[in-house]
Amino acid sequence: MAVVDSDVARLRRGEVDALSELISRYQNRLYRYLVRLVRQPAEAEDLFQQTWVRVVERIRAFDPSRNFDAWLFTVARNLAFDHLRRIRPESLDEPGPNDFSAETPAERLPSNAPGAFDRVLERERASHVAAALTDLPVIYREVLALRFEEEMKIEEIAEVLGAPLSTVKSRLRRSLEQMRQCLDSRYPGADWQ
Amino acid sequence: MNDHDEIRALLALAAAGALEPEEEDRVAAHIRSCSACAGEAASWQSIAGHLRRLPTPQPPPAVIQRARVMAEARFAEEAEARWQRGVLIFVVTFAWVLTIVSWPLVRLATGGLLDLLDPRLNQTWITFAGFTTLVWLTGGSAAVLLSLRQRRERRLA
Repeated sequence: MAVVDSDVARLRRGEVDALSELISRYQNRLYRYLVRLVRQPAEAEDLFQQTWVRVVERIRAFDPSRNFDAWLFTVARNLAFDHLRRIRPESLDEPGPNDFSAETPAERLPSNAPGAFDRVLERERASHVAAALTDLPVIYREVLALRFEEEMKIEEIAEVLGAPLSTVKSRLRRSLEQMRQCLDSRYPGADWQ
Repeated sequence: MNDHDEIRALLALAAAGALEPEEEDRVAAHIRSCSACAGEAASWQSIAGHLRRLPTPQPPPAVIQRARVMAEARFAEEAEARWQRGVLIFVVTFAWVLTIVSWPLVRLATGGLLDLLDPRLNQTWITFAGFTTLVWLTGGSAAVLLSLRQRRERRLA
């Protein structure tokens, strides 16, 4: 975190080298978050670029006492939601197609290796969870991504969403419950233990 | 809602690590004595574990490079705009100071020293203020128009 703070301070002072450092440090996390929000890689790529341009424009207004991660993800979130409102307003609530899993049925066939069944089962479950995630509305996908993938604290998520802690918790609970319903209806009888 | 139902409603958030410490303690205590809730908690933990281990999509290197180039170009534009603003402020301040300082010298050279010692607004001061304001309003408007034009040209480019 101290390294990030140092890079942010350098960028605020006008040192352009710090920008490359920050992009390298956050590229995977930021892109993953954007893919979770907009689902389409091409759109996420455009938003990824726009986010860094916006960071440069706004970095002097950034309060160094705040958490840079939360600020960066807020910038990306605002751009992504503006984009979603502009191109497909219904997508903010409506579940979308299942386009996440790249696994073919042949890849899911069990082999004869010892313990292979467990591994296949585990991969099956992982692909089911991934597919169910893409079917959730964007407000649920983002809270799950921030909590489980970005491992943000509830307070940090509240900062990104600009919402009170109680809202974040209830949204997190509803998103998990909806994911569970989705999994139970798509894969009835599946054991999640 | 009894204790069992209350705990069951907390299990999803427990798997997300989003409970307060006292709630966590309640859930842990209940799970030790309730096999149904223990099974449910295990299911939530399994789903949470899968969410934590989802594959991370990687941005293509070309996208990262383009983002870097675009952001650095914007960075340079911002720096240039800041420099231009600084120069403009300096020039305006310098010009005002020069105007105000030179005026008494002009008055002194033209024998108007006594007028300077008299703070009352007279015809000379009003003329000076009006003339200077007119000049600077004209200059300021020109500078703003020029700046807007430059910004439009940059956006089109």
